[in-house]
Amino acid sequence: MNMAAAEEEFAILTKDLRKEYDGLVAVSDLGLRIRKGTLYGMIGPNGSGKTTTIKMLVGLLRPTSGEAFLMGEKVPAVRNIDRIGYMPQEMGIYTDLSVHENLELFSDMYSIGKGDFRRREAELLGMIDLEERKGSLVSHLSGGMRHRVSLACALVHDPDLIFLDEPTVGVDPELRVGFWDHFRELRRRGKTIVLTTHYMDEAVRCDVVGMMRQGELIAEGTPSELMTVTGAGNLEDAFLSYAGRARA
Amino acid sequence: MPLFMIAIFGYTFGGDLREVSVFIVNLDGEGANGSISASIIEDLATRDTLAIVSLIGPENASSSEVASAISKVEKGEIWAAIVFGEDFTESALEALGNMRQGMPAIPSEIVVHVDSSNPNVAQAVVGELQISLQKTLVSEYGLIPPIVIDENRVYGEGAEFIDFFAPGVMGLAAMMVTFMLSIVSFVHERSYGTLDRLLTTPVTEGEIVGGYALALGFIAFIQSCVILVTAIVAFNIQIVGNVLLALFTIFLLGIGSQGLGFLLSSNAKTEFQAVQFMPIVLFPSILLAGVFWPIEAIPDFLRPVSYFIPLTYAVEGCRSVMIRGWGIEEVWPQLLVLAAFAAAMLLLSTYSLKKRR
Repeated sequence: MNMAAAEEEFAILTKDLRKEYDGLVAVSDLGLRIRKGTLYGMIGPNGSGKTTTIKMLVGLLRPTSGEAFLMGEKVPAVRNIDRIGYMPQEMGIYTDLSVHENLELFSDMYSIGKGDFRRREAELLGMIDLEERKGSLVSHLSGGMRHRVSLACALVHDPDLIFLDEPTVGVDPELRVGFWDHFRELRRRGKTIVLTTHYMDEAVRCDVVGMMRQGELIAEGTPSELMTVTGAGNLEDAFLSYAGRARA
Repeated sequence: MPLFMIAIFGYTFGGDLREVSVFIVNLDGEGANGSISASIIEDLATRDTLAIVSLIGPENASSSEVASAISKVEKGEIWAAIVFGEDFTESALEALGNMRQGMPAIPSEIVVHVDSSNPNVAQAVVGELQISLQKTLVSEYGLIPPIVIDENRVYGEGAEFIDFFAPGVMGLAAMMVTFMLSIVSFVHERSYGTLDRLLTTPVTEGEIVGGYALALGFIAFIQSCVILVTAIVAFNIQIVGNVLLALFTIFLLGIGSQGLGFLLSSNAKTEFQAVQFMPIVLFPSILLAGVFWPIEAIPDFLRPVSYFIPLTYAVEGCRSVMIRGWGIEEVWPQLLVLAAFAAAMLLLSTYSLKKRR
């Protein structure tokens, strides 16, 4: 497949992407091909290399070897940087600013005009159901609300490719359902979403799931494919089955 | 760390002044041998409080040498010019004779053209002169004739200790606030993930560092204004020079200090390690930069460290502007050092942020 065709079809392409820390392999020769408009779930236990992979893709970490392309541009994707949204695991919002100020700050970083920002803010606040708390300091919000603000900040510039690192950690079950509704809505609008989670049960809602263990991608496919191949009744059992094969 | 702190404190606190640079112009007509002026100078040279950089006269000394010595004080090259008059010994001996006969004695005079921008130093110069006068005259003549030390303050006329402290406190406060805020803010940015998010936006590393520099430099500027106004209103400090130039000096220090905080914090492996940099940087700055006592009071082996501390140049520059009334043409060396410090810190911080990837 030539590069132009690949750019047309895949939001993310990686070739032998590898990251080592002092000789310790965090991500091992990763090959990802994620089509545009996919809701991709990266699952695996803590320390399996999910966050390191995301950080290499968004340009926060330099790979030890290998390469990655986002929408056809080699990482770090400077030309496409305003088409990429990122929600870090630690939320990455300013707690001493209000919800509105956080959104405005990050929209300013993407040079979004005031008029466009106002429209976008109204849309996002509606989506995360925080219109009433627009003026509240983030430090006065609950953990779940902060997660919603963090998600809104990642979406403020209406990116085409969205990386969400553990977006549902510490979020109550009811809110998690709401989050997944947002993710599906974004995908319906043509966005590509890559999220990490160690909640196997919720990964079943993804279009494609990549299973990671000790820095390696041990399996990839739709949730139903993964469960069918392993004969497992759920993704957790499927993961354990693949992990057993990897050990063997 | 506690050992480091107590060692610096012990060596610097309340140290005696040493090697205060002075010129001596001896116009005393009695010549080098046997004159009272020569004995006093000889005694001054036995102690190390004053460093006699140049001794002119009595041969070939003229009033032009006095003007030249005063000019050195005006340029800040030396702290004082001590001038013995043409008939100093003659007048003193005449006064001694009169005293022995119970007749009124006319005092002779030593003129000290001194830079009183630092009251400690000015007091030390006059004090050392008085000690030598007493020692010499009592040992040689058994009497102390009336000798007036005429203190001509080249700078700092009417200056008190608060005038000396105010620029130092301004600099110290600006450095502490910007350095600590930048370390704490950066630790916060790291641990809350905002730095990662910032670095994935179109904002560059240089813009992040520049934004911090402007914000914290502005805080240092405002804080200095508050200190200055308080010092003027409550303590009636005198400002001879351009206040804006003094504030600009502090602004440069603020930018450099925040850059240093940013640099150290970005290179720290953990937040705990970053916070540990605070006392390591602040403690020597507080004690060795000439904020509370002159650089001349710092022991020789520690004094070179003072010249590696940017606060030293900010305090010196600010004092020169506020007490001496110097302008940019005189304080440019201090401004240059501070500007170079600020530029180096900003560039290294930017590089350090890029290197984190």
